[in-house]
Amino acid sequence: MSQMRIIILLAVVLMSIALSALLGPHIISPFGATDTDREILFSVRMPRVLIAFLMGMALGASGAVLQGILRNPLADPYILGISSGASLTAALAIIGGISFLGSFTIPVFAFTGALATGGIVGMMGWKRGGLWPERLLLAGVGLSFLFSALLMLMMSISTDEGLRRATLWIFGDLSMSEWSRIPYGLAFVVVGIALSATRAKALNALILGDEFAHSLGFAPRRERSILFVSVGLLTAASVSLGGMIGFIGLLMPHIMRFFIGSDSRLLIPASALGGGALLCIADLISRSALPPMELPAGVITAIIGAPYFLYLLRRKDVLSV
Amino acid sequence: MRTRIIAIVLALSCCRIAFAADFADPPKRIVSLSPSTTEILFAMGLGDRIAGVTNYCDYPQEAKQKPRIGGMSNPSLEAVLSLRPDIVVMTTDGNPKEFEERLVSLRINTYVFEARTIRDLPRGIRKLASALGVEERGEKLAKSIEKGIRKAAPPAAGVAARAAKEKVLFIVWPEPLLVAGPGTAIDDAVRLLGAENIASRASTAYPKYSIEEVIRQAPEVIIIGKGSGMDMVAVSKGLLNRLSSVPAIKNSNVCYVGDGLYRLGPRVAQGIEELAQCLK
Amino acid sequence: MSSASKPAILDLEDVCFSYEKSRQFIHDLAFSVGEGSFIGLLGANGSGKSTILKLASGILKPSSGKIALWGKNLFDLNGRDRAKLISYLPQTLDISVPFTVQELVGMGLYPYDIPPAMSVADALDIAGLTDKAGARLTDLSGGERRRTFIAMTLVQGAGLLLLDEPLANLDIRYQIELIRLLKKLREAKALSVVMALHDINVALQFDKVMLIRDGNIIGSGRPDEVLSRDMLLRTFDVNVEIKRSGDSVYVSFENNF
Repeated sequence: MSQMRIIILLAVVLMSIALSALLGPHIISPFGATDTDREILFSVRMPRVLIAFLMGMALGASGAVLQGILRNPLADPYILGISSGASLTAALAIIGGISFLGSFTIPVFAFTGALATGGIVGMMGWKRGGLWPERLLLAGVGLSFLFSALLMLMMSISTDEGLRRATLWIFGDLSMSEWSRIPYGLAFVVVGIALSATRAKALNALILGDEFAHSLGFAPRRERSILFVSVGLLTAASVSLGGMIGFIGLLMPHIMRFFIGSDSRLLIPASALGGGALLCIADLISRSALPPMELPAGVITAIIGAPYFLYLLRRKDVLSV
Repeated sequence: MRTRIIAIVLALSCCRIAFAADFADPPKRIVSLSPSTTEILFAMGLGDRIAGVTNYCDYPQEAKQKPRIGGMSNPSLEAVLSLRPDIVVMTTDGNPKEFEERLVSLRINTYVFEARTIRDLPRGIRKLASALGVEERGEKLAKSIEKGIRKAAPPAAGVAARAAKEKVLFIVWPEPLLVAGPGTAIDDAVRLLGAENIASRASTAYPKYSIEEVIRQAPEVIIIGKGSGMDMVAVSKGLLNRLSSVPAIKNSNVCYVGDGLYRLGPRVAQGIEELAQCLK
Repeated sequence: MSSASKPAILDLEDVCFSYEKSRQFIHDLAFSVGEGSFIGLLGANGSGKSTILKLASGILKPSSGKIALWGKNLFDLNGRDRAKLISYLPQTLDISVPFTVQELVGMGLYPYDIPPAMSVADALDIAGLTDKAGARLTDLSGGERRRTFIAMTLVQGAGLLLLDEPLANLDIRYQIELIRLLKKLREAKALSVVMALHDINVALQFDKVMLIRDGNIIGSGRPDEVLSRDMLLRTFDVNVEIKRSGDSVYVSFENNF
């Protein structure tokens, strides 16, 4: 039965990619494509669809990992302020005109910001030898307010071009997707997902609790740190690819736990694929709903995601903490 | 970025007389709540009577020396009151109606400038001038603008070009792509010049525009407006690369212009003139 | 007494531990567990039973002293090797993720590359959970949850089980069921069990009882030797007595109410 579901998931993924490449403000028929259609397909839609998919994968997988290592069904990099921290350092790199790592500069800076923020949130959430969910969430919310305010402040006091570009990181935007973003996006997403997938057993054990994890032969702190690095890589990828887009990281693991099961070995890749498909569809809606205008993809994910989230809250078996 | 866009949107919107007081004496202390009215007041030579302007009023240079009263959508009531204005000049869309009501309830004279299109501008200026008791100066400015518009866009030009309208896209900001849409002075000017703004069927004034729609609509001329003090050639490079198949770029019909048309004010004629050069 | 003749599988010597720097909680703790033992740690809430079990399993590190597992230093073993010898089940099982019974029991295989003797199916059978294999943890009763985790430790194959208050929140039927299951397993698999508890009636079922107070072992021995009025007063600060009538043994609360 679970094999059947994996096949269904893969079919949905392929269909989402194909649909978002062929649909849009205008439908492109693969058979009767004009030169303009081909141009639009290859230089506008394909990079955009692939970047949306990579970004959605990063969001879905990072949510699955973070919910596990924090033992908190409400965790995701967005809520815990990790995305804001990554955005802030990414913005600093842009403003500072730093580019010594080429196209990898921004994601590398975003990665350090993600790790640093995660560290601060972790320290604030740590009390009497354990992580306290509500402390973590409040610390994350507080930090993301602080980081957004810092970004706003920098914008208000400067008219510099780089800074204006940096504000893109506040509002998620996929319209700037270009082929040149694919290499670093792919590298960070693949390494991030691979790293978490190799530690998937440890993640399962951590979900049961540190004492269980220890009893099953894992070193909880070490495993949590390794898994957190993968969250940092994935958050850096998503922020660098398209800024801050919420709800996918929070919801996709919940959806997949129902659809495919809770075992992290399956849940991480499934959440990644599901997140990719969802963001492709959300972006498709955002650019097709009111042509020739575009809406931010984050608005669509919130409109899809928030009601589902509220529905989940009513199901006691999902959030029976 | 966002604030600049909002500033532009607000600056371009204009006016209706809601309340025109009779003045025994011409008002001496004027507070202007939008960059376009600030420019008009300066152009009428009333610079020394301006007591306060918004944070976005950056033209002419002297405007930057004036006391600031906050943004257009969120001016500070306290800052306005502390300037003891004889009259507060505001615009219909740019400033909140509630703010005007507050001022009226505090017995402060207000004047709402209501021209919204290039055609209405001279009339709007004349009305404003008469409300401020400077009819002659208003008449002079209105005349010069009318003359400028006629020169840049002679009525015949529109008729002549009607046969084959040139498709134009006016880019306000390249990343993300924001363009001039319906209801803007730019859209107005493009039509006056007998060309067609491909973004005029969007539903907001400065829409975030779909890149693939640009490719599909194939504009013949692309005009890039000035950003506040930025090198627009550098900023737009990435976008123009992606649009390389569009006729405008193939035929090097890309044109960089100033910000004359961002505000429905004295520099509109100059803006139309620049636009006309691009469409030649 | 019965375990003394067999070699010790767990040996604690002069173990000290403190949660806060200022106050030492456990001082010079020493005891050993022989093969096939069935030991109950009896004490009031907060007396240190959990701390002792966590020290013995290596979750908490002692500030001084020695802990040996099958003659080897506990902290010299790597995690996976340790997991094959000893298994600790925490008191609270507050897991909100809906793992299935089968998935959870299968986690017992994590320390192994080559699966050990007992399969997941066997463990489910022994724990009476075969027909619940596909059920989600979040849909199980308290007793079924406990049995699921016992089955996990069976698959894990550890010879020593440290169980922290496994009977808490279980009704009498499940308490009896669980004790019976553990006794059966001990016979069949030479399993040793150390269990923290606070119910004197349950303590009567064990081969050996250790009375814990303020992190110290204040008495140790067969239930009939150690559960005297005097010792129970020192353990719990109340006057209770073990009464016998015929075959049944029970605790009398006397006129404490």
